[in-house]
Amino acid sequence: MPDTALTNEPNSIVCDGNEAAAWAVSLAKPDMVAVYPITPQSSLVEYVSQFIADGKIDADLMDVEGEHSVMSVLHGACLAGARTYTATCGPGLYYMFEPYVRTPGMRLPIVMSVVTRDGLTPQSVWGGQQDAMMLRETGWIQIYCESVQEVLDSLIMAFRIAEHRDVMLPVNICHDGNYLSYGVTKVILPEQEMVDDFLGEKDTNWHVALDPDRPMSVDPLTGGEGPGGPSTFVRYRKSHCAGMQNALRVITETHDEWERMFGRSYAPLVEEYRLDDADYAIITIGSMSGAGKDAVDVAREQGEKVGLIRIKTFRPFPMAALTSALAKVKAIGVVDRSVSFAWNCGPVYQEIQAVLYQLEERLPAISFIGGLAGADITGEHFARVIESTGKQLAGEMTEGPVWLNENE
Amino acid sequence: MGIGHNTIAFHQDKCDGCGDCMTVCAEAKSGTTDTQHSRLKIVPSVAANDSFELAMCRQCGDPKCVLNCPSGSLTKDHETGVVPWDQEKCVDCLLCTVGCAYGGITYNAAAGHVMKCDMCDGDPACVKSCPTGALEYNKSAEIYNNYGELEDLFVPGLAACQGCNSELLIRHTMRKIGSNVVVATPPGCIAGMGTVGFNGKTGSKIPVFHPLLTNTASMLAGAKRYYNRIGRDVTMVALAGDGGTVDAGFQSLSGAAERGEQMLYICVDNEGYMNTGMQRSGSTSFGSWTSTTPVGETLRGKTQDAKNMPVIMMMHNCEYVATASLAFMDDYYEKLDKATAAAERGLAYLHVYSPCPTGWRIPPESTNEVCRKAVETNFATLWEFTPDEGLRFTRPVDNPLPVEQYLNLSGKYRHLDDEQLTHIQNSVKRKVAFLNGFMLATSGSEAQMQ
Amino acid sequence: MEQTKYLIAGSSHAALSALNSIRLLDQEGSLTLVTKDDRLPYSPTVLPYVVSGQSKPEKVQLRDEAFFTKNNVNFISGSGLEALDADHNTVTLQNGQEWQYEKLLLATGASPTIPPVTGLADTSYHVLRTMDDAVNLNAALAGAETAVVLGGGLIGMHAAENLIKAGVQVTIVEMCPQVLPGYFDPQAAKIIEQTFVENGVIMRIGDTVVGAAQDGEGSKVSLDSGDEISADLLLVCTGVAPAISYLEGGPVETDQGILVDDRMATNIDNIWAAGDVAQALNFYSGEKSVGGILPAAVEQGRIAGMAMIDDPAINLYPGGVPLNTYEFFGNQAISVGISDENALPEGVEVSLNVNEEEMFYQKIIIGEGRLIGISGINTNFDPGIMWQLVLRRTDLAAVKDEFLRNPVDTGRDLMSRIWR
Repeated sequence: MPDTALTNEPNSIVCDGNEAAAWAVSLAKPDMVAVYPITPQSSLVEYVSQFIADGKIDADLMDVEGEHSVMSVLHGACLAGARTYTATCGPGLYYMFEPYVRTPGMRLPIVMSVVTRDGLTPQSVWGGQQDAMMLRETGWIQIYCESVQEVLDSLIMAFRIAEHRDVMLPVNICHDGNYLSYGVTKVILPEQEMVDDFLGEKDTNWHVALDPDRPMSVDPLTGGEGPGGPSTFVRYRKSHCAGMQNALRVITETHDEWERMFGRSYAPLVEEYRLDDADYAIITIGSMSGAGKDAVDVAREQGEKVGLIRIKTFRPFPMAALTSALAKVKAIGVVDRSVSFAWNCGPVYQEIQAVLYQLEERLPAISFIGGLAGADITGEHFARVIESTGKQLAGEMTEGPVWLNENE
Repeated sequence: MGIGHNTIAFHQDKCDGCGDCMTVCAEAKSGTTDTQHSRLKIVPSVAANDSFELAMCRQCGDPKCVLNCPSGSLTKDHETGVVPWDQEKCVDCLLCTVGCAYGGITYNAAAGHVMKCDMCDGDPACVKSCPTGALEYNKSAEIYNNYGELEDLFVPGLAACQGCNSELLIRHTMRKIGSNVVVATPPGCIAGMGTVGFNGKTGSKIPVFHPLLTNTASMLAGAKRYYNRIGRDVTMVALAGDGGTVDAGFQSLSGAAERGEQMLYICVDNEGYMNTGMQRSGSTSFGSWTSTTPVGETLRGKTQDAKNMPVIMMMHNCEYVATASLAFMDDYYEKLDKATAAAERGLAYLHVYSPCPTGWRIPPESTNEVCRKAVETNFATLWEFTPDEGLRFTRPVDNPLPVEQYLNLSGKYRHLDDEQLTHIQNSVKRKVAFLNGFMLATSGSEAQMQ
Repeated sequence: MEQTKYLIAGSSHAALSALNSIRLLDQEGSLTLVTKDDRLPYSPTVLPYVVSGQSKPEKVQLRDEAFFTKNNVNFISGSGLEALDADHNTVTLQNGQEWQYEKLLLATGASPTIPPVTGLADTSYHVLRTMDDAVNLNAALAGAETAVVLGGGLIGMHAAENLIKAGVQVTIVEMCPQVLPGYFDPQAAKIIEQTFVENGVIMRIGDTVVGAAQDGEGSKVSLDSGDEISADLLLVCTGVAPAISYLEGGPVETDQGILVDDRMATNIDNIWAAGDVAQALNFYSGEKSVGGILPAAVEQGRIAGMAMIDDPAINLYPGGVPLNTYEFFGNQAISVGISDENALPEGVEVSLNVNEEEMFYQKIIIGEGRLIGISGINTNFDPGIMWQLVLRRTDLAAVKDEFLRNPVDTGRDLMSRIWR
């Protein structure tokens, strides 16, 4: 990579999603990056470490002894005022869980990539969104990327969203292991000065700090039965929920601003693809969406009035955007890359049920589960998905879940 | 209130009756080696052979010799603490000797007047001459003088149990270190007593937080790195229990030590999860009753020795590692000074043996005595380590008392049988032997403990 | 009317000791010290040395003005108590001031007793109780060649020694068969008497003055034995009695002195008494008696002060023990407790060690394994330690042989073990 790559606009490079994430980190200028390797995230932190070693990133590199400490050192740094970043997935994420869960409660605007991975058992080192989906009720913001360019752009936007004073919540940018982590493509690098303008001054601990100049107790015991206990706890919870709802607006505004400054446009919450005249739609999340769109194009050529709905922001849950999208169609099929064991379906499907309840007319829906543990969801798979989904319009129902890779 | 004063302490167990102190005193004060002129007197004890006792002025705070003096020749100097005697004013009535219960001011027939110790202007000759360390110049009072006026950085009324050693520790510690700090108090007694507060109210006047039980060292490391990055000099302090240190918090501490993160990590070792109902930890000592190593028909307390955490930290080659006991506050303060300085270079680890009246079943007023006996029996050894200087005993105990004298003070050992006692005594000896060996290897010192 | 929280009448050892106890716990409460002497505090014990010129009045002050300022004490000198109105918690001073107190300590000391000797009232004589007495006597030394001292107690003996050292020919008249009764037994007293004789003092022991008359500038006394002695100076040292005249007719209960309990409290609320004026428990007899010794005044003052301020650390008064340290012509005589076993019931053990040529005398009395008294001349023991052994009733059975052989080291050993 030539050193001048950062300064000539437009500046395109060819890289995979993990390197793109590392470039985004260099442009966002965090004070601290904490790293611990885990497949398929490892090359990401290797790139970041090398960038720091080369002076491309001016950040403290905390190469600590495990993911638990990764998140913990970021807590300390963030409370002291730092902008911070890390990345992990799968088992590493599970090991990080204790401080991870605590992060949004303290309203720390930490940005973390989840390079999604399946597992934990049966042991797997390959892609799949089981890890990320497990994070649904932890209170983090979760954004799923479709492309390498989107990984880079979303990661930069994530800092602005997280540090917005109406939000003050940590953000996960999820990019799929294997497909995005290792998928190589052309990427345009934004200009540093413009990113600086876009992000502005870091603003991480105005509300809670470990600072002798502003002495305070951080996270005292709260709740219990004593006077003021329940109401104080409720106030924290309500405020957290409010921050999440504010995030829907802030994410949208941030994407608008991004488009204005950098010329690239993404649907901030929910992307509608060939939906306006569609009779039915498939719903996707993450990198599979590209293959899904191709399959929709093929089906359209065959006369099927099918569209695609991609969920980009999964947390906060974009209820309004999804309601509006689903109102346009008469049947749906939802493709998940993970499993909700208790509901015997995919987790996205499970949550879409709640959207269906908002509609005036009940829609038939099928849960498809594919792409587990690095398996492909190909055009052929999507063709099956489209076919089954469309047949619902004629009253031919399919009982889910449909396990797409069951016979491979 | 007045100020405290340093004292000369007498460790009777170390005195071999050589009398050097008396010779030196006579020389220093009367220019003769005739010990008749010595201001202190070592006397043989009737109680035991080769055992000795001491008569010398205690420089009483409220001296009766002064009140007894009819001529104003004895006074109490509240600045130095010394009770000086003015020969000019003395009428040789000897009434002062009636007032003294210690044989501290006595008639010197050879000189024809009374004499008494004047502490040699704060540099007592006798102490320097003592070859066995039986005489010690105790500077504890300086702690009071130097730090008594400093602000207590915790609120009054922390909800610690009566006689709590941990509360004493944290108040002293933070008073000394000051407010330019970030303080971590992970779940445990120190947090539980309210240092971080409840429902939006704080228990401290300094930046303080609950880390997780598991990540104290990591959180501090992150904060310190950022302060270094922006050029601010802020000291990181952990006030952690043994559970958050030797068990669940061990990995993050070990990692921070390996990386040389700059912080002062103080482990307040009360040998278990005392805050949550007195369960066993990796630091619980052999034989201890806890609520998860109970005593019944088949179980007789904990069946494993405690993890030797300070030694483990020493093996991390930390910038500074030391053990401490609040029965020896001057020792602790010296170590706190060194540790605070070392915490700006790397990780400094202090392991404080901290008896728990509630969990150990000891009367609250006995906490300090239990602290003391732990050291006097070598159950807890006081030492310090730096990579350059190696290991050094700061308060060697040459004639350790039998460990029973320590164990008998705590209800948690009440059930011990002979076999368990033997096990504990042997393990005490083994630990001391290891430290001796390590000291020899690292510092070259052969001043071993028995 | 002036008001004060603590009012202390007197300014010598008991008063200052009480002041010390009060100020240990209460640095703020108003405290007023009143004394009849128009001087800073001094000790009557030091007066013989002022007489001889060895000490100067201004050098033997027990406290200076800075002390009172620093300790927030209102010190009123030259005006003692005139009257007490216990019903209204008020006193009247000799200067007419009225003071209302919350707590009052009577530490007004003792006054010389003058024996009912015919003609004495019309004869010029000296006493030695106040600094003024000492200054007057010192002045009278100039030109005096002879002196008679009535009384062979501590003050008389001290005074006699100082007079003879000043070049005055001295005669001591003591009606008891020995000097220093109560502190030393006849055998020890004999050694002391002998030393006085050797130093030129004429000792008239067991003789009584029956008459006195003015003899020019000097005096003349006639003795029971029939002898008459003329002297330039007549010094009456026949004892002291508590100074309690201001209590006459009042409710404060007195006998020889002011009766106090083991907290130095009188029978009247908010009034305590300590020192020579008090009649307190005697350690040995269990009765209340007047003492008049300095260490007892210090101890009583300390307890009274603690009681006045409700100091929880107070220990009750264990009772007075005779104590004496006495230096004479370069020799030391010390006694703690009872020195004459003849005053004791049967069964006590007496260890006596005497060498008259060496001027050495030591007597130890032990009863039921406890130290009852120790006295000696030119012996070497720590009276403070011995006092503690007596008060604590320390069991000496295990160390008795060592104690009798070497009371110094054994006493120090025992105390070191207790206090270590």
